[in-house]
Amino acid sequence: MSWAASAPPGIQQPAAAYYSQPSNAAYTAVPLRQGFSQAYQAQTQYSYTAPANPPPPATTVPTATASDQQSQKIEWPQSVRDYVQRTFQKSSDIVGISGAEVQAKLKDVIRYTQDCGIMHTTDWSQMPSPQQMIQAERQQALMASISSPAAPDHTATAKAKVNPKKRKSTDLNEPDQLGSTVPWRSTKDLSLEDRISKPATDMRSLMDGPLPAKSKSQKNAEKRQRRGDGGYQSSYRSPSPPPLKGPIVGLNEKLEKKFFRLTAAPKAQDVRPERILHQTLDMLKKKWRKEGNYNFICDQFKSLRQDLTVQHIRNEFTVSVYEIHARIALEKGDLGEYNQCQTQLRALYMAGIKGNSIEFKAYRILYFIHTANRTALNDAIADLTTAEKEEQPVKHALNVRSALALGNYHKFFQLYLDVPNMGAYLMDMFVKRERLAALANMCKAFKPDLKLRYITEELAFESDAESAQFIIDYDQDLLLEREDHIVFLTGKAGQRFEEARGEAFRRVDLKGQI
Amino acid sequence: MDSLIKEFNAAYAAMKGDQLAETIHPDIERYSHKLRAIWDRGDLRSTTADLNFLFYQDKSHANLSKAEATGWFEIYLTYWKAVGEILAAEGLRGNVKGSWTQVYVKWKELTLLIIRGYSHYEFENWTIPCLYVAGKYLRLYAMRADAEKSSSNDDTAMTGFQDDFDPEAEENKQLEDCARHLNRIFQICLTDRAPLEESRKWGVYYAINLLFKTYFKLNSEPLSKNVLKAISAGRSDIPLIDKFPKSQQVTFKYYEGVLSFLEENYVEAEKHLTMAWLMCHRDAQRNLELILTYLIPCHLLTTHTLPSAQLLEPFPRLQKLFIPLANAIKGADLRAFDHALRDGEDEFIKRRIYLTLERGRDIALRNLLRKVFVAGGFEESKDGAPPVRRTRIPIAEFTAAIKISSGEDIDADEVECLMANMIYKNLMKGYIAHERGFVVLSKNGAFPGTNV
Repeated sequence: MSWAASAPPGIQQPAAAYYSQPSNAAYTAVPLRQGFSQAYQAQTQYSYTAPANPPPPATTVPTATASDQQSQKIEWPQSVRDYVQRTFQKSSDIVGISGAEVQAKLKDVIRYTQDCGIMHTTDWSQMPSPQQMIQAERQQALMASISSPAAPDHTATAKAKVNPKKRKSTDLNEPDQLGSTVPWRSTKDLSLEDRISKPATDMRSLMDGPLPAKSKSQKNAEKRQRRGDGGYQSSYRSPSPPPLKGPIVGLNEKLEKKFFRLTAAPKAQDVRPERILHQTLDMLKKKWRKEGNYNFICDQFKSLRQDLTVQHIRNEFTVSVYEIHARIALEKGDLGEYNQCQTQLRALYMAGIKGNSIEFKAYRILYFIHTANRTALNDAIADLTTAEKEEQPVKHALNVRSALALGNYHKFFQLYLDVPNMGAYLMDMFVKRERLAALANMCKAFKPDLKLRYITEELAFESDAESAQFIIDYDQDLLLEREDHIVFLTGKAGQRFEEARGEAFRRVDLKGQI
Repeated sequence: MDSLIKEFNAAYAAMKGDQLAETIHPDIERYSHKLRAIWDRGDLRSTTADLNFLFYQDKSHANLSKAEATGWFEIYLTYWKAVGEILAAEGLRGNVKGSWTQVYVKWKELTLLIIRGYSHYEFENWTIPCLYVAGKYLRLYAMRADAEKSSSNDDTAMTGFQDDFDPEAEENKQLEDCARHLNRIFQICLTDRAPLEESRKWGVYYAINLLFKTYFKLNSEPLSKNVLKAISAGRSDIPLIDKFPKSQQVTFKYYEGVLSFLEENYVEAEKHLTMAWLMCHRDAQRNLELILTYLIPCHLLTTHTLPSAQLLEPFPRLQKLFIPLANAIKGADLRAFDHALRDGEDEFIKRRIYLTLERGRDIALRNLLRKVFVAGGFEESKDGAPPVRRTRIPIAEFTAAIKISSGEDIDADEVECLMANMIYKNLMKGYIAHERGFVVLSKNGAFPGTNV
């Protein structure tokens, strides 16, 4: 049967089975089991003693479930029992590690996997023994103290070891300082021994451990399995860990990362910490200048932004990331991304974080002119302070707006020729439409004709050739050559440009608009 | 509880919806006594027991069907809980501290139960006023809960993993939620298929008005469009709006007008707002003022007329808003207009009439150009024919006039551009002869609607 294949290695046995001793293991049984189960019972009744590695975010176990666990905890999977047995075999002993330490560690390990609900998915045969973990922990503490005596690693590790009860979930914000010897904490800190004892492929299942959220398929598999078990252990496995409440702290050291839209809680080892992100940004800026591959840059910026978001990093660095991405998106006319950045920037500025808020407020106004969104435009103006209205970029944007509102194309095109920052990219998006509007206007007011030169200047075309082309694109018979100049036959053109104008104003790209 | 249920029975027997709605009214000012009495009667158990008796065992009361009794039983039990939360939030329960968020949660439960009454327990349509009360207070409590949250400065906002969420939505979280439930009230009214006499369709406009209010508060007017679409799709079987209470008509027309206004559809806006204006109760000063706030700018653009002093007389706030602008337009004083617009900017922006009023400058300009035209005098008459105004006017004259009026320098090209606009907008008739530097105005009605 297919579901049987996905069942964990340790198949549930009746509660009584736990007490029936394997005949060949008599020498390990009595002291171990007592010590273990007693310690465990004591724990469930009182507040939970955290293991040396950080506990999952939710440390409070509702009392109801605690008693559930108590009544059911005797159903240890075979694999776990094998692991316990292995721990107490003579061959696992390492000189200098006392039995008490080993028991405590063992307890922590099992407890931890249970809390995370991964006890049944963990490959216990590959799990390093508690002795190995303790040894690795010590080695690492030693290494840390040698390489940088003043570094907090050492003290933190020591603290964690001396008084594990002091660790609270809020301490999560000092991630690198934890004695990361348990395999699911970190890969790079593993001692050679651990790496040998555990092939890299198996790491995955272990590394999934500390993160409470499970993938959908995993959950489904579990559900199926529970059904197969006749539902006996459904309460055993619950409570499924609640989603992360606090920010996570990344452990990923790579500069580049492909963007992937999260469907579950992020994993610390996939997320890059802020200091890495700083390097990432520098690298992206260089690459953008050198290669100009927008698809690559955009993807990288998205993952960069995501890493910032999941770690709740909101500071001036965050602002600069969004600003740079917004500018690049603007340059490439990617309004969707531009908008997302702009929305975030607005929130960040409102939170009082410094950046180029004037520049971006001006863009905001220009953008709403482009989308002809009057309500939003009104709100954007409402957001401005009197002082901001006097700042050059904002003032420019407001003048653009009022020039258009009053149909003053003369002023509008003068403003178009002199735009602060990158506002011209935004104005480019609606300049064609405004040219059509102006032409429709001129056709009605000026009779009988106009010099092409005049149109070129009024509507800010680069050259007569460009303005001629613009007109010819609509109708070929509107220009007439005189002795020394070309004229635009306004009398004939009215209808044509009126239509084009109406068409142009109907089509406003609203992509990604907020 | 006894007296409450007695009231319920009386209202139910008489089939008086309003009276029935009063029994679940949560207004602490109006019913402070009653609410306290209800809460102080006992704990959850005794209340449940009371209600159990009153609805299931006491056979003296009105002929409720079994389903209805179940529905009302749950409603009153939840009402009792909500009253407890309200008293706590108002600080009237001694040292029990409450919060408006809690009130909102309980009241939402009550609202959902009432909605459920219609979908599951065969409530009849005359009980709709209960739905009104529920919806009305749901909205109020949602706003209070949001205010409470933002003042407590609770920084739990960033819970999502994506960065494309809308930070503003967080501020109005409960109200957003509330809008969804109000929409359900709207739907449950709209989709009733019973014959019109006993249909919940009579609740449609009250629900719409609540929804509009909420959407406006949330700055999401576009959603109101969906509502309008929904009722125009089903218009054939919704009773005509003039069959509804006047208060509902006025509110609906007002919002419909403002929605058109915001879309720059001033003709439609004027139609709706005028209806609202005419029907509005003459003592509802606040509502009249609101209607005028939008109706006056509408008039300015559609008919180029300004409000009379008499019209504005009862509304000092509107006087302050509009009179400086109106005077500037009348006096063709561009500088005064710009000043008035700048002075009132914050208020205009807040009321969302700035972008509309700004266009009043065209009218001021039109008046100015007209003055130039009039000052130009008449051509020498030929052969004793009636005198004709001078219709060829050099651009330079207009330029001078605009310079004087606005107090700013302006070049001839820009003046031509402004003139072109006047012509394009039909505020002025004629054409510009660019090469020769003058404007040729129409002999008859150069400025339509102004007698010249």
